Amino acid sequence: MINNKKYDVIVIGAGPSGVSSAVNCAKKGLKVLIVDLNSNSGGQIYRAPPKTYKSISKKLEENEIQKKLSEEIKKFKIETAYNHTVWQVSPGFKVNAFNETSTIQWQSKSLIIATGTYEKIIPFEGWTIPGVIGLAACTVILKAHHFIPSKKIILAGNGPLLMLVAYYVIKFGGKIDAIIDTSSKKDWIKSTFSLMTNPKNFRDGIKWVFKIFLNRIPVYSNSTIEKAFEVDEGINVKIRNLKTGKAKNIISETIAIGHGLIPSTDITRLLRAEHIYDEQKGGWIAKVDRFLRSSVNGVYLAGDGAGISGALAASDKGLLASWALLYDEKIISQKDFNQNTYKILKKLDKYEVFAKAISQLNFTPKKLIENIDNNTVICRCEDVTKSEILTAVDRGARDINQIKSWTRLGMGPCQGRTCQYAVSKIVAEYLNCEIDNLGYLTGRSPIRPVPLDKVLGDFDYEKITKVEAAPL
Amino acid sequence: MKQTDVAIIGGGINGGSTGLELAKNGLNVSIIDKNLICRGASGVNAGTLTMHMTRAQLIPYAKKGWELWMNTSEWLSKEIDVEKKNGLCLAFTENEEKLLIERSKIRNEYGADISIISKKEAQRIDPNINSSIKCAAFCEMDGYVSANQTGSAYSKALKENNVKILENYDVSEIDYDKNKYVIIFKNGEKLIASSLILATGVNLEKTLKLLQINIKIKCLPQQLIVSERMPTIMDTVITVANGKLSLKQFNNGTVLIGGGWPGVGNIEDNYTETKPENLIGNMMLACHAIPRLKSSRVARVWLGLEAETDDAMPIIGEIPNYENAYVIGSIHSGYTSGPYMGKLLAKKILGKNIDLSLFDIKRFL
Ligand SMILES: Cc1cc2nc3c(=O)[nH]c(=O)nc-3n(C[C@H](O)[C@H](O)[C@H](O)COP(=O)(O)OP(=O)(O)OC[C@H]3O[C@@H](n4cnc5c(N)ncnc54)[C@H](O)[C@@H]3O)c2cc1C
Repeated sequence: MINNKKYDVIVIGAGPSGVSSAVNCAKKGLKVLIVDLNSNSGGQIYRAPPKTYKSISKKLEENEIQKKLSEEIKKFKIETAYNHTVWQVSPGFKVNAFNETSTIQWQSKSLIIATGTYEKIIPFEGWTIPGVIGLAACTVILKAHHFIPSKKIILAGNGPLLMLVAYYVIKFGGKIDAIIDTSSKKDWIKSTFSLMTNPKNFRDGIKWVFKIFLNRIPVYSNSTIEKAFEVDEGINVKIRNLKTGKAKNIISETIAIGHGLIPSTDITRLLRAEHIYDEQKGGWIAKVDRFLRSSVNGVYLAGDGAGISGALAASDKGLLASWALLYDEKIISQKDFNQNTYKILKKLDKYEVFAKAISQLNFTPKKLIENIDNNTVICRCEDVTKSEILTAVDRGARDINQIKSWTRLGMGPCQGRTCQYAVSKIVAEYLNCEIDNLGYLTGRSPIRPVPLDKVLGDFDYEKITKVEAAPL
Repeated sequence: MKQTDVAIIGGGINGGSTGLELAKNGLNVSIIDKNLICRGASGVNAGTLTMHMTRAQLIPYAKKGWELWMNTSEWLSKEIDVEKKNGLCLAFTENEEKLLIERSKIRNEYGADISIISKKEAQRIDPNINSSIKCAAFCEMDGYVSANQTGSAYSKALKENNVKILENYDVSEIDYDKNKYVIIFKNGEKLIASSLILATGVNLEKTLKLLQINIKIKCLPQQLIVSERMPTIMDTVITVANGKLSLKQFNNGTVLIGGGWPGVGNIEDNYTETKPENLIGNMMLACHAIPRLKSSRVARVWLGLEAETDDAMPIIGEIPNYENAYVIGSIHSGYTSGPYMGKLLAKKILGKNIDLSLFDIKRFL
């Protein structure tokens, strides 16, 4: 069960940033292991179709990029552990993971955390009914599996993912009943210049918007889904314009909704690294220096973990983190370090303009939070409603961990990944305080639920190492 | 400068229970916590109310505590989940059988109503237990509290009884002047009190030093494991004759695996960290006791710091050389007996004739 193989570096996450950092470390002769819970490299953005999908005829651009990542990993003989879910990381560093059959522990001197982001959804009445999925989840279905969740769909939330998903849904033959965007058309126009700093993504964006326009998809700006409920014909979706207050009902079959992305901080919180709140970068993020070193020695953040900057910046951020590691480990000289990082930093500055524009399009309007009905479930693992949260606050709970303790929010299998953002917003809004003051959920192992049979395997009672009972 | 009759430093189950009882008897009470109320051991413990793991000498107190927990609506709050369950302590080998009989007998002498039952009887009480057991010890006085709700319940009750709660107030100095205590906080504020109670749990060693009292309090970091929600797989509180295990399923379907397996942790920076090998031992023992548990997934692991004196017995009562200064803490199965111990200390402070000599801090001085 315990394998204890030792590495110089373990990279957690095989997306573009994880791969670029792993490759760079391997090139310099370090012994590298790359771990991912998916069955291949690519991460969320370049997600590989399952190996069994032999007949996918039209390969997407994303699928091609993924192939290149795989080839790089092979070329530099980097060890991989796909289908392995990391559940515990302890100082020193010990990384514990499980796969379909068992658990395993590796050790390494340094860690590069490239676990990316997950999606942000601001709850509304009915967001937990069947047929409501995340916008980012929808991109996974589209990119890796090439199918649409239902023939008729409503896309809601904000940011460029709305447009990307719309593009693919149309491409794969679906009908979009409406796009409901909390931002205004003006917000989009305002961001155009900043978005142009990244010509590749900008061109893609134009392509998406054009397709939406050509297909005459109704777009509701400044609007949100206030309520959704099942009816015989499908899902009845109540749309509310946040500016005018006007409401409208539409019937559809599925809703894909998302309000941007949240950096994954499970591992850095587990390692008790310092975190800061930065709305523009996605919420609570690990505190890093310019070269992506966290506050814990030997832990580096590649990709979006310390702030969202998107796919194009990802591989550069991976490189930057790996240069910092190589320098700290005295494998490259100060001069090499300066030379190598100088260009990357410049490039990243440019991406930052783009990232900022995206984050403005993903802005969470105050109204969106205020409008959440008191009976709406916020923590869906533990069924905690907005009013239960506010009751705890009324009783004097002021810290998010205290609210967690009193209401059970964040105690379920997702450990608050899904609700922490919304809870913080709701409470900060209610108390009229900064989110920083509420703190963040303490990281707790396991960061993903661990099947007991896999951790334990078969064992004899006699072989259990026992701890002596307390005195009588 | 603020004034109060009684200043209680430490807002856990011990400080909270003592304060609640004093306030109900008309005293003006302030509870001070350097963190938030019941976020220490009292908010993160396993909440097991069992006699099978209680130190023999503390059985009479744990029994009284158990009774208080069973009617929280009378003295605390309706809003804390408490369940009465049967308790089974399992023996898997012949040696353990002997140990169990021996230990149960001693606990019986101290007043616990524990009986040794056959494997068949045990299986009738809870069909989910491992069929390879030799025998079990049975006690009707068992159950659990959802300890995460402690803070919410206590702050409500304390506020209703006009207790002042000062959170995020860290004590830096205590001056004793003309029978008054001047408590100086790190933020510069001061509080004057006629009586002082130290109830700072695992921090008692440090806090007692403020009064020039030097005793050793060990800090035991302990791990707890909770599963995802699952269908009913057990209906009793399970402990074992040999080693550490406490196991129960809450009404929401989650199963809590505890018993006191050590993790890593210290009081200096309130740091805790899991010890994976001890998680595994704890889980194995749990799955051995209730085999169906193996089909579950672990949702979360957390740790708490428990205080222990050199003889593993509590310190409760007057602090020598000081007028109206008291200490309460380091109580084994302290969550179970905390409400009663707090009440006892409050009664003593109110002038009743209460014998706390068993817990006198002088034995360490
Ligand atoms: C993991 C774990 C599981 C347990 N399981 C059980 C169980 O199943 N059943 C059972 O009966 N018992 C159990 N216990 C024991 C029980 O939890 C403790 O005995 C009991 O909660 C101790 O209460 P307390 O009030 O003394 O301490 P605490 O609850 O720790 O309270 C002390 C308070 O003092 C505050 N404080 C400290 N220093 C200062 C300062 N300088 N100034 C101001 N405030 C300060 C702290 O912030 C804290 O809030 C368990 C303990 C642990 C750790």
